Amino acid sequence: MTVAARLRAPGWYRAMLSVPLGIGFAFALVVPLRALSHYKPVVDGDAITTVALISTPLAFLIGIGCFDYWFRWASGAPTVPEDHSGHGARSWRDYFRVNTDHKVIGIQYIVTTFVFFIAGGIMAMLMRAELAAPGEQFVDSNTFNGLFSVHASLMIFLFIIPVFAGIANYVLPLMIGAPDMAFPRLNALSFWMLPMAGILMLASFFAPGGAFNTGWTSYAPLSVDMPLGQTFFNVAVQFAGASSVATALNFLVTIVTMRAPGMTFWRMPLLVWANFTTSLLVVIATPFIAGSQFMVLLDRALHTDFFNAANGGDVIMYQHVFWFYSHPAVYIMMLPGFGIISEVISTNARKPIFGYRMMAFSLMAIVILGFTVWAHHMFVSGMFPWLRVPMMITTMLIAVPTGIKIFSWLATLWRGVIHLRTPMLFALGFITMFTLGGISGVMLAVIPVDIHVSDTYFVVAHIHYVLFGGSVFTIFAGIYHWFPKMTGRMYDETLGKVHFWLSFVFFNLTFGPMHLVGIDGMPRRVADYAQHFAFWNAFISVSSFFFGMSLLVFLYNIVTSWRHGPKAVANPWRAHTLEWQVSSPPPIFNFDEVPTVVGGPYEYGVPGAVHGVFKEKPAVKEPAVAAD
Amino acid sequence: MESASVALGHEHEQHGPPPANRSSRVDAQLLGMLLFIISEVMLFGAFFSAYFFIRVVAGNDWPAAGTALPIAVAGCNTAVLVSSSLTMHWALVSAKNGNRFGMRAGLLTTFLLGATFLAVQINEYVHLGFAIGDSAQATIFYGLTGLHGAHVTVGLLLLSMATIRAFRGHFSPTEHRGVEVPGIYWHFVDVMWIIVYTTLYVL
Repeated sequence: MTVAARLRAPGWYRAMLSVPLGIGFAFALVVPLRALSHYKPVVDGDAITTVALISTPLAFLIGIGCFDYWFRWASGAPTVPEDHSGHGARSWRDYFRVNTDHKVIGIQYIVTTFVFFIAGGIMAMLMRAELAAPGEQFVDSNTFNGLFSVHASLMIFLFIIPVFAGIANYVLPLMIGAPDMAFPRLNALSFWMLPMAGILMLASFFAPGGAFNTGWTSYAPLSVDMPLGQTFFNVAVQFAGASSVATALNFLVTIVTMRAPGMTFWRMPLLVWANFTTSLLVVIATPFIAGSQFMVLLDRALHTDFFNAANGGDVIMYQHVFWFYSHPAVYIMMLPGFGIISEVISTNARKPIFGYRMMAFSLMAIVILGFTVWAHHMFVSGMFPWLRVPMMITTMLIAVPTGIKIFSWLATLWRGVIHLRTPMLFALGFITMFTLGGISGVMLAVIPVDIHVSDTYFVVAHIHYVLFGGSVFTIFAGIYHWFPKMTGRMYDETLGKVHFWLSFVFFNLTFGPMHLVGIDGMPRRVADYAQHFAFWNAFISVSSFFFGMSLLVFLYNIVTSWRHGPKAVANPWRAHTLEWQVSSPPPIFNFDEVPTVVGGPYEYGVPGAVHGVFKEKPAVKEPAVAAD
Repeated sequence: MESASVALGHEHEQHGPPPANRSSRVDAQLLGMLLFIISEVMLFGAFFSAYFFIRVVAGNDWPAAGTALPIAVAGCNTAVLVSSSLTMHWALVSAKNGNRFGMRAGLLTTFLLGATFLAVQINEYVHLGFAIGDSAQATIFYGLTGLHGAHVTVGLLLLSMATIRAFRGHFSPTEHRGVEVPGIYWHFVDVMWIIVYTTLYVL
């Protein structure tokens, strides 16, 4: 191809050309507007950057080709018929293109999110290095604030939330017997918005004044007065949020409209149920964080008065709006993991899930209760005092459906034939660690305890027990469980077990002592601390470095197994769900014939039980509607 | 628009993955649009929360002292927008009945009525006499009407696509989702305006 043709065709050449155009657009918009309005200075770096942060990623998305089809459609021009070259991946290059295949997008998601996981992990290591001893070691307190803010934001918005979307993207259509997601092009756009958000967050380190440093919560009015880096966060959250709403919408439509014949809601695997409920949460809750960040952005850019108390604004309002998303968000970060654990435990214990319907109902209960607990994050904020006790009660109530799940898993294990493979180890590790995190969560729901440990390391310990010991362990379980399906190769079981035991032991050595220093009163989000806490912090830091290194075992295992691992058979775990009934990796459109579902997904140990069968597709009267 | 490849089904062969089993009578595009609207309602919900906190919790005067909101002009504008919903419905019914003139005229009228609404709204901004940063009340007034205006703009964009395609000969009695889906969005924008108008101007 000639250079000119390459610049016209969707892809990296056009994307690289679009980036300067996006920045140029920001200049062309801001400078004349400021000149017309007699603002001084006419060329204002902050104003141009704010616009460029929005226009440049959009320009990149247009350049890479996310919108080509829609542009043609919108103008009424004939759309380019797909020759299926956009589907499936033949070489690694295909993973760097706009691809509409849910299996390719799933892997794009997982690999991208792990890149940001590693970036966030390195920041955690830097923080622990700084905290190894009292006083200033490596970074000043402003940089430290930037590190923990970007660490948390990357882990939440660029790792845990989207990696679940990635895993589900790969396995969910297979599990329900669908050839792809309902909206494959929207799916591709969802994926490509994600690196935009991550790059913006990382790029904030280069902004004058340093990275955004108000924590991932970015409370107003502090965030309104912060230097330019904060704007990077405000805009990045919009991209990550739009990506996650679009994916959730896609999952919901896929689950409702594209299930295989016989796949009733009560025959769906629990991973599908988990993503169904999670997607409901995402669609309903995520606009609230978008709203809160729009308000901060407007206060910063246009000097509005949302959070300016002198002009009648209300600063507590930020926390209400923010937590109305961000508390449901902790379930967005946990429910898909519950689904993964149900798959792994049932398969590896060779037993049907105990209380399948209650498992699904408890997911729904968490969705509903999840919207009624947000203000338990605000017990010390100065909000309405009457709201505290109701929030305490609902917070404790939500432990009930969670407890139902824990006990159902334990009952599933009871007298099972337990195969202690790596995914199962992570699942068992998850149950113990998440229960501990859940217990400290109930402690935090108790108002006096919460007031005592507010903003201490106890909270840091709690969140890492539920998000690492909880969510990330389920992610590892899921990655190991579906690794043969995704790559067509087996991972190394020994290295997997080494990875589990290293991360399990050093996870506890890292975050366990944080409970102690937290109850003792060590404040979180501070680069320096009293001499009194020196021993435990040195201990935590050393543990955390080993903990960080345990990830290297995982990465080595994944990379070498993906390249040279032994070939995987279609169903190495002898699981019943549909994704295991096709080859590893699955054929390009998943199923050569649509399977018919005849039973529950977890009938292990029941003689002759099958979940899905492949037979001639029954004649369909009305023409089936296109699945894109 | 995701209805794309389906809407063009009669123009070239189905492309993309093979058809899936249809497990619901609900159309995928319609369900997608409804879910999107739920999420849009929640975005408005975030701004209405801000409105509630500024007006009720913080107890500020409404509207801010020394300012007035043009209730009558905005009321007429409401009528314009509501009538555009009716013409949108006319366009859809015409499309379903194979009345190409009605579909084109309906879409074009809807578009023009929507554009009129937006123009009146911008004119109102110019003559209001207070700026977005003057007070929290001004902020949330511009915030909510501006958010709604942005949605009108998106709606107009979708309508313009449908209109262009209608004039280029697309859509048929069997395949009219390209009219129906933007239409649902347009009705949402309309209903949302009635809520915005009631809470900001009337109450």
